[in-house]
Amino acid sequence: MEKKRTAKGDILLIAGIAAAGIIIAAAVLLFSPHGSEVVVRVDGTEKHRLPLTVDTRMVINGRGGSNTLVISSGEAWIEDADCPDGLCIKTGRISRRGQSIICLPHRVTVEIDEGSGGNNHSSSADIDVVAG
Amino acid sequence: MQGKTMISLLLASVILVFSGCSAADGNNTDVTGSKHEKEIFAMDTIMKLTAWGASGEQALEEAEAEIRRLDDLLSTGKSTSEVSAINRSGGSTQLSDEVRFLAERSLDIYEATDGAFDMTIYPIMKLWGFTGDDPACPSDDSIERTLALCGSDKVKLDNSGMVLSEGQSIDLGGIAKGYTGMRIADIFRKNGIGSGIVSLGGNVQCIGGNPSGKDFNCAVADPAAPHSSYLGFLKVNDEAVVTSGGYERYFEDDGVTYHHIMDPRTGRPAKSGLSSVTVVCRDGTTADGLSTACFVMGAEKSAELWRSGSYSFELVLFTDDGRLLVTEGLSERFSPDGDRGFEIIRKE
Repeated sequence: MEKKRTAKGDILLIAGIAAAGIIIAAAVLLFSPHGSEVVVRVDGTEKHRLPLTVDTRMVINGRGGSNTLVISSGEAWIEDADCPDGLCIKTGRISRRGQSIICLPHRVTVEIDEGSGGNNHSSSADIDVVAG
Repeated sequence: MQGKTMISLLLASVILVFSGCSAADGNNTDVTGSKHEKEIFAMDTIMKLTAWGASGEQALEEAEAEIRRLDDLLSTGKSTSEVSAINRSGGSTQLSDEVRFLAERSLDIYEATDGAFDMTIYPIMKLWGFTGDDPACPSDDSIERTLALCGSDKVKLDNSGMVLSEGQSIDLGGIAKGYTGMRIADIFRKNGIGSGIVSLGGNVQCIGGNPSGKDFNCAVADPAAPHSSYLGFLKVNDEAVVTSGGYERYFEDDGVTYHHIMDPRTGRPAKSGLSSVTVVCRDGTTADGLSTACFVMGAEKSAELWRSGSYSFELVLFTDDGRLLVTEGLSERFSPDGDRGFEIIRKE
């Protein structure tokens, strides 16, 4: 009698833990940021792939000059650059998939990509391409 | 013993749940075929090519070769291009099929838009310095003198070739990117790519729709912050989307902003009350030419051209005073960003 009750309790407990596990996993999937990555390319070649969730500051060595990339609080931007037009700095902050910063003189691009752990969340925030 | 069993069961269940998640993630990226991307610097801009499918790499390589070939053929900045040769000699008796095709299309749009799109505006672009690195305001006098030479109506194009009038030079750059996008789309299709997207400096051509089975979601840049803010989103499939705005290239002088889209009637930056024009069209070459023309013509004349049916296209217009206008054909496919409202242009 005593043994049986314990076994029943165990099953309930395990079921409870499993259910909790599923709920946690679902929450992680649903509410985590998109696993976005910041992709840095120079002259078309991928040089760095950085998580958007980890604050970073780095110097990108482009063609004939450099650009300082900052990633902070889920946003990426070029803080400083020695290119003639400075358009990459003027572009401001990007955070949504499909957005990019371009430094034409240095042939540097910084783009938000869905990342290797990308999921299927589809909303107006998921942009395939920007016309403009 | 019981405690240990319970702990291992607990661990097992957690591991199972999480491994299940990552497997699902892996599947999501694989079902539709692999994604291939390439960035190319050409035609004074950056081009981004994306192809989904097994032959993606092959398609991208062929597309890059095609872009280089067209750049070499059409560039006004390369002395060896056919266009440069035409400008040096004031014409040509041996036009290539492609240059002839693009010149004919340019003349066609010139006529349909009452001269708002003009391939002979090149000397004016040069005068303003927009072909180089250091644009600046020319004198009124020099503008008038240069403008007198311009005008596609002075160009002779027939079976024997092209003849420019004295002092004229042409630039096919106003439709070259649109045409290039279409050529890339052909290359993708030939390689069995059913889903692809090409952005030639913000000049978009899509092949099919998103590999997920939906249409592509194409954002339209907000002229106030073109890289981080949007006017809205367009659902597109097998179409070109081309946006023209004064924010793409400009300089400031004495507190005044001068942009690069010239009004062929004034020889000065167009002031039509529009800050951005987006054209959606099956034909990328047409989309490219019309976006410039509509920017120069303004909202009312653009709507007239759309109603006339001379070309089959749709429009998203954004005015200097912040009104968003969308032609009827896009009303179901356009969603404005945030709480922006928009007005629908109807055929009546």
